Amino acid sequence: MSAPTTYHVPSTPTGPSLGESRAGYALEVDHVTKRYGATTVVDDLSFIVPPGRVTGFLGPNGSGKSTTMKIMLDLAAADAGAARIGGSRYRDLPDPARTVGAIVESDAFHPGRSGRNHLRILAAATGIPATRVDEVLEQVGLAGAADRRAGAYSLGMRQRLGLAAALLGEPPVLILDEPGNGLDPQGIRTLRDLLRAHAADGGTVLVSSHLLAEVEHLADDVIVINDGRLVTHGVLAELQQAASFVRTDEPGRLADLLEQAGATTRADGATGLVVRGLSTAEIGERAFTSGIVLHELSPHGGSLEELFLTWTADTSATEEVIEL
Amino acid sequence: MSMHRLIRSELLKLTSTKMPVAFLAVLVVIAALNAFAVISGTDMDGSKAFIATEADQQSLMAFAFNAFLGSGLFGAIAVAREYGHHTVVPTFLASPRRHRAVLAQLLAVAAGGAVLSLIGNALTVIALAVALPATEYGFLVSVGHVTQVVAASAFAGAAGAVLGAGIGSIVRNVGGAVTLAVFTFMVAPPLVVQLASGTAPWMPANLANVISGTVDDVSQPAAVAALVVWAAVPAAIGLLTVQRRDVV
Repeated sequence: MSAPTTYHVPSTPTGPSLGESRAGYALEVDHVTKRYGATTVVDDLSFIVPPGRVTGFLGPNGSGKSTTMKIMLDLAAADAGAARIGGSRYRDLPDPARTVGAIVESDAFHPGRSGRNHLRILAAATGIPATRVDEVLEQVGLAGAADRRAGAYSLGMRQRLGLAAALLGEPPVLILDEPGNGLDPQGIRTLRDLLRAHAADGGTVLVSSHLLAEVEHLADDVIVINDGRLVTHGVLAELQQAASFVRTDEPGRLADLLEQAGATTRADGATGLVVRGLSTAEIGERAFTSGIVLHELSPHGGSLEELFLTWTADTSATEEVIEL
Repeated sequence: MSMHRLIRSELLKLTSTKMPVAFLAVLVVIAALNAFAVISGTDMDGSKAFIATEADQQSLMAFAFNAFLGSGLFGAIAVAREYGHHTVVPTFLASPRRHRAVLAQLLAVAAGGAVLSLIGNALTVIALAVALPATEYGFLVSVGHVTQVVAASAFAGAAGAVLGAGIGSIVRNVGGAVTLAVFTFMVAPPLVVQLASGTAPWMPANLANVISGTVDDVSQPAAVAALVVWAAVPAAIGLLTVQRRDVV
């Protein structure tokens, strides 16, 4: 894929303007770079997450998602660039724990402490009434196990505890790193409903996940990174339609031609190609100019998994322009 | 974010696991061993001269160095485990100005160390008071001296806990933090004294005895100040380290 250098951010659809109210916190990652020794784990990364939508944050293992989230939460320092929440750095928010709820580490609790005590400690630190602890335990379906040692919890219960901690301060912004890991189907459904409702209420939701099928059901927008760099960013439904299917007797020659023009291609059968990065009109014109006969040229919708594999297969790919 | 809330949260952390109970159990065992030693122990000549005078008994009940050492381990474990279990992450999310969270942690751990040491010394005093009637000697230590010994333990306990907490925030691994704490308390002082013999009065064991009133080769204010320095240096290094370090 060629390297267009711009991407389009969807306009804020439902929430108030940035920073205006509880429901108006946009997240902005602005040319952030992070290095650990000689390794660059986040490389000049920029994107905006608008309020009122659920944004999926995708990338292969080690692509820099968790590090980016930690930089947003001031848990890690960027070597260049900045991350802002509602226009402010996390540390400058007047009441950060009531503004942002986060899951960063799935096991961020002491195994000898009960789930209830874990939440009571967080509530005490932030001045949240203890009655709220019981509310969130009920909300995430952990009330029955609240007084058991967290070390005895299943992975799904730990995730619910993490989610309860994130929801404790009733924050308008949720930044969740792999919240669906280990959840049973009922838990996944609860999580999805909760995050959808949060966004519908004007909240901002950024959620990373490897469960692509779940993200497909959950997210309005997706941000995809690979090797710390932005691969694509846009409305999921439009990204899924941003491919074309071509059938020709010269698929190899056509693929070379289109890739030289900046497209990515994937063989689909003996004579088929799935092409991204060029419009159907451009594909048709280039094939005609080169004398390649096309037997079919049509828009192609793909699953998120298919898209994800395409986006992340070519590590040299940078950003994809999505006209919204 | 008020410091009051953060300190309350840190105190809840300390009291919501079984660690304080384990330390209390050790203190009970130490007191029982003291009582057993008073009843059954003798000097080389078979006498009980080691409990014959007020000074002897005060020396026996002086708990400050035990408090410094035990609270040091308490502080190191209490803080290192919070890093090891990543429970420091929600703390830093609640208080992104990390120096406040670290100060709250140090204050809470100091309070915990002081209370444990106070209880430990009180148990030792009670053990002596219970055991002495079984010997030919009565309880000879004045109320004033008992108060001094117990107060010294509480202070040494607070200082030791802060030192341990500093180590715990630097090392972050419980095993590593305990190892470094033991090295700092038990191994490093004799080595330093061998290299520079003039430093002996300024080592924690001697300073603890000075503030307990059982030796006087350093003035008490100087001993208090020196113990504060012993605690403050690793705590300050820990504070600076935590502020600069990424949570990974």
